[in-house]
Amino acid sequence: MQPVVHFKNVNKSYGALTAVDDLDLAIAPGQFVTLLGPSGCGKSTTLRMLGGFDSPTTGEIYLEGKPISHLPPNKRNVNIVFQDYALFPHLTVGRNIAFGLELKGMGSAAIHRRVGELLALVSLEDHAERMPAQLSGGQRQRVALMRALAPDPNVLLLDEPLSALDAKLRQQMQIELKSIQKKTGKTFIFVTHDQEEALTMSDVIVVMNKGRIEQMGGPDELYARPRSRFVANFIGQSNFLEGTVASVSDGIAAVEWRGNLVRADVNGTSPIPGDHVTVALRPEAVFCLSRKPEDRPSLKARIDQRVFKGAHTSLTVMLDNGSALVAQIDPVALSHIEGDDVWVGWRDSDAVLLAK
Amino acid sequence: MRTYFNDLPKTALGASYWIFAVYLVLPLALMMAMSFKDANFIAFPIGNWTLSWYGKVVQDKQFLEASLYSIGIALATTVSATIIGVWIALLVSAENIWGKAVIFALACLPAVVPGLINAISMRIFIRAVDIPTGTFAIILAHTVHAVPFVVIMVLTRLRSMPANLVDAARDLGADPFIAFLRVTIPYLMPALFGGMIFCVLTSIDDFVRTFFLGGYQPTLPMLIFAKVQGGMSPEINAMATIVLVVTTAVGVYAEHITRRSRS
Repeated sequence: MQPVVHFKNVNKSYGALTAVDDLDLAIAPGQFVTLLGPSGCGKSTTLRMLGGFDSPTTGEIYLEGKPISHLPPNKRNVNIVFQDYALFPHLTVGRNIAFGLELKGMGSAAIHRRVGELLALVSLEDHAERMPAQLSGGQRQRVALMRALAPDPNVLLLDEPLSALDAKLRQQMQIELKSIQKKTGKTFIFVTHDQEEALTMSDVIVVMNKGRIEQMGGPDELYARPRSRFVANFIGQSNFLEGTVASVSDGIAAVEWRGNLVRADVNGTSPIPGDHVTVALRPEAVFCLSRKPEDRPSLKARIDQRVFKGAHTSLTVMLDNGSALVAQIDPVALSHIEGDDVWVGWRDSDAVLLAK
Repeated sequence: MRTYFNDLPKTALGASYWIFAVYLVLPLALMMAMSFKDANFIAFPIGNWTLSWYGKVVQDKQFLEASLYSIGIALATTVSATIIGVWIALLVSAENIWGKAVIFALACLPAVVPGLINAISMRIFIRAVDIPTGTFAIILAHTVHAVPFVVIMVLTRLRSMPANLVDAARDLGADPFIAFLRVTIPYLMPALFGGMIFCVLTSIDDFVRTFFLGGYQPTLPMLIFAKVQGGMSPEINAMATIVLVVTTAVGVYAEHITRRSRS
């Protein structure tokens, strides 16, 4: 399938600063794609280049196969939802949504119908005559979304649109956004620094760092199989075990880690014995038992800190080899407190080798 | 005792404010009171009260002509100063403009140059480029004087404008001109309105520039000045009172509108 958006070797630099570094990114139509990364990683610049507010220093951007880098924003069939919504303060909600339709030369009856449909989509039918200042944050967000969708763009761009909302509303809007994306079948490109937003809504997450793509894939894949320390740390939490590869067989590497031999999935890398590697291990993949299990490998440890987190409890345990591990456990299953001895371990496939 | 001393600065401030307020209002009140005096000289006591001076003023052809002339000049000044002022404000607020600070400083210069100096230099200038004294020259001078105020008001408003508003309009299909017309101008409206009222009031009020650049036809301040030279009379007070009431009304109305559109 032809990608709806294709960045080909796109670079963007501001003087000596490189914002986007040789970006190669193809986005399939109809997907909810999230550009995820810390501030300054180039995700917003990428979005602005697609919207037409910045132009690549070198390289080309294709929209449905046609190069668009030279086109001004008003000549591109993409629309953007801005972080601060940018609703026109002097126009009513209805006129805000109609803005793009009027410029397209649509007749007033057709505009009226379309605005009605769009407002119904977000249950704001009776707010058409309100001014933006009279709306709540969530309502403004919905109006900005509908205004951007009104001209029927090929691709909808969303620039951290949920960051101004409080936590409850943000979760609600995540579900709503995803459902609108499904209903309309449009390609959504969503920019955020919030990993939870990315995991909740995306079909594909593109993790960016220092102007480059760090890793790209489905949320479950990125979570379970991070390729780099950056991704493993940015999405969720991880323990990192640094050691030397002792042997490799059947996609499982045995790693010499501070006097212990631990096992981890090679995760697409091809390590050879003697390589220095980092193993990433999710806290929830670590089990803690009061007695040494017979059927699987485990290490002896002492509980250093026990923190109640509601749904789960976080344990920091100190191993005999002097390293700390964070484990996430069911508080009911293990009642041990600080200073108690436990046995910790994990399934071989839950620990992964990192490529860098 | 303690509270008395603590409150002393506050009390002193309050009291001095009221003294100032009285000083501000009393001359105006006196002027207005005298316009109702039934005699052709100004002195206490007022004695009999009359409205006849107002009757005389509104039938005074000279007064009416001067008023219309002043209003015409004020309107022309407002239009030209607003256009030039908005243009300069946009220039100064735009990115990638070389010499922004210089443009801004030059635009604001007329606000700080003394009126008399301004008037004399303008007189020399129009002489040099062969513009006759009269209506056009007056409008020219009033415009130069009014532009800085428009620039500052518009610039203040522009700086509070989210940059994304124009981007959003562009994104939705507007070219730069349409975006300016449909988003920037409506956003600037309160500042434009305030600036325009200010232009009208400074133009109507101006005496020095008009005096140096005017022709034979008198504006309102020139007419009143001429009449004062012939001796004070309650008729002049009546004229001044009318001007005061009208301009105050315009100012209060403008303040009201600006305040409403900001909230």
